[in-house]
Amino acid sequence: MSQDEKYKEIIKREMAKLTRPVKLKVVTSQSAKPDGTKIRACMDCDQFMSLLRVYEENSIGLLTIEELTIDDNPDFAKRYDIQRVPTILLIDQQGREYIRYLAAPQGGEIQPFIQAVFTFAGAPNYYEATIKKNLDRISPSTLKIMITNQCPYCPQVVTIANQFAIASEGKVRTVVVDIMANPDIGQYYDAAGVPYTIINDQKTLVGMIGPNEILRALIGGNISVQY
Amino acid sequence: MFNIDMEGIDLEKIYDLIVLGGGPTAIGCAIYAARFAMDILIIGKVFGGLIATTHLVENYPGITSTSGQGLMEMFKDHMDSLSIPYISDEIRSIEKIDDYFVLHSFFQQFKAYTICIATGSERKKLGIPGEEEFAGRGVSYCATCDGPFYKDKTVCVIGGSDSAAKEALFLAQNVKKVYIIYRGEEIRAEPINKKRVYENDKIEIINNTNIVEIKGDTKVKSVIFESGKVFKIDGVFIEIGSLPNSDLAKKLEVETNKKGEIKINRKSETNVPGIFAAGDVADAPFKQAITGVSEGVIAAYSAFDYLKQTKIEY
Repeated sequence: MSQDEKYKEIIKREMAKLTRPVKLKVVTSQSAKPDGTKIRACMDCDQFMSLLRVYEENSIGLLTIEELTIDDNPDFAKRYDIQRVPTILLIDQQGREYIRYLAAPQGGEIQPFIQAVFTFAGAPNYYEATIKKNLDRISPSTLKIMITNQCPYCPQVVTIANQFAIASEGKVRTVVVDIMANPDIGQYYDAAGVPYTIINDQKTLVGMIGPNEILRALIGGNISVQY
Repeated sequence: MFNIDMEGIDLEKIYDLIVLGGGPTAIGCAIYAARFAMDILIIGKVFGGLIATTHLVENYPGITSTSGQGLMEMFKDHMDSLSIPYISDEIRSIEKIDDYFVLHSFFQQFKAYTICIATGSERKKLGIPGEEEFAGRGVSYCATCDGPFYKDKTVCVIGGSDSAAKEALFLAQNVKKVYIIYRGEEIRAEPINKKRVYENDKIEIINNTNIVEIKGDTKVKSVIFESGKVFKIDGVFIEIGSLPNSDLAKKLEVETNKKGEIKINRKSETNVPGIFAAGDVADAPFKQAITGVSEGVIAAYSAFDYLKQTKIEY
């Protein structure tokens, strides 16, 4: 079995366990051919959407992926400050953004993505009680996590950050950035190592970090426990 | 898959064995414990442990050649086949109540009759100016993670161990030049890797040299040798050994040696009944994935044996 087939098998096996409906939005761009038909304009969008359809097709109809083009949805693009495509967004019914992916959920990133989808759909969240207990002490925050597909620790940091974002109902927002696909973002932050986590564009945590380190960085003090 | 629906995780249950750690040792222990029909749970900060960052594993019986990540994927498949639950968390304290232990994290608490500490080790730091400042901006502890950023650039690996040699060999695939900077006379790599290093035109060894500072602006630009020489470089990969993650054990009054490694006997027992230890955190002199797995497996058996002697239902 090739690596690609193995990954598809994992997606198939795990997505079949989804028991509640959930919707994700993906922003792409399109252009018109001379005959007037529209095609996706961004270089990676076709491949990206094909990958996401694998998740959707194996979810027994419970995962819906809504593709929005930046050209046809300028207000949406403006509201969510869509700077590049493709972008995956996990947005709740009140329009609050929890998680943004500027990365394809492939390879090692399959697991954190599926876990985020499940938790976003309402599955139990291991970190939820403590996040809620400390929520008043957390300022609205954005965790930007720079990753690459080769990095063994990146999926683990992304998993935790995504779960924090969902537990906090978007008060902590996660942005997952593949810096090989978005090298300008890596350069902007001088990142030459992954995982590289930036909190509110101010504080940087380098390398593998666990839930305690992320929560401490968000709170800036001692953690209140809830169990 | 981890944690989805918190499958297999019961916060009320007293587990027969909780394994702390996420590397080969912890997984080897858990696989055997599962086969002994013990109620088990693995709690680890880093799934895969340090070996996940190794690009080449060629000394694990039955597997001619794979990456550390590849090996861990096989371990994970094996865990999944036995429905062994894994949680990404860090235990910060443990207390003994009656005949079981209570393990506290910031997120949950767990109960277990026995514990296997397989928390491994973490990379040693050089402790020199510039190391912390340029972490992630030219200073790295993981060639697998960060090697791709240095295509056609010049990097150095600090250290003379087998791991340092393997890091250099991995980096040489993409970079322009790799210098192994070692304080000793001759690198201590396994002969097979030493030969590969010597035969690789892109790798050069600078021996009998210590680095005293890492310099740069927004990214690393050079390292300073003890002699005062400024050596221009784009990336510094530090591979100078590791330190055992034994702080939790020390709080439990588990005996450690001068290096901070947990003292264990041939049954992987510590001085505290019900607490076992294995792998890089323990005091065996030769630390490999295979030896860690062996100690972890022995710890599982010893925990099983301990329960038989202390619990009526066993």
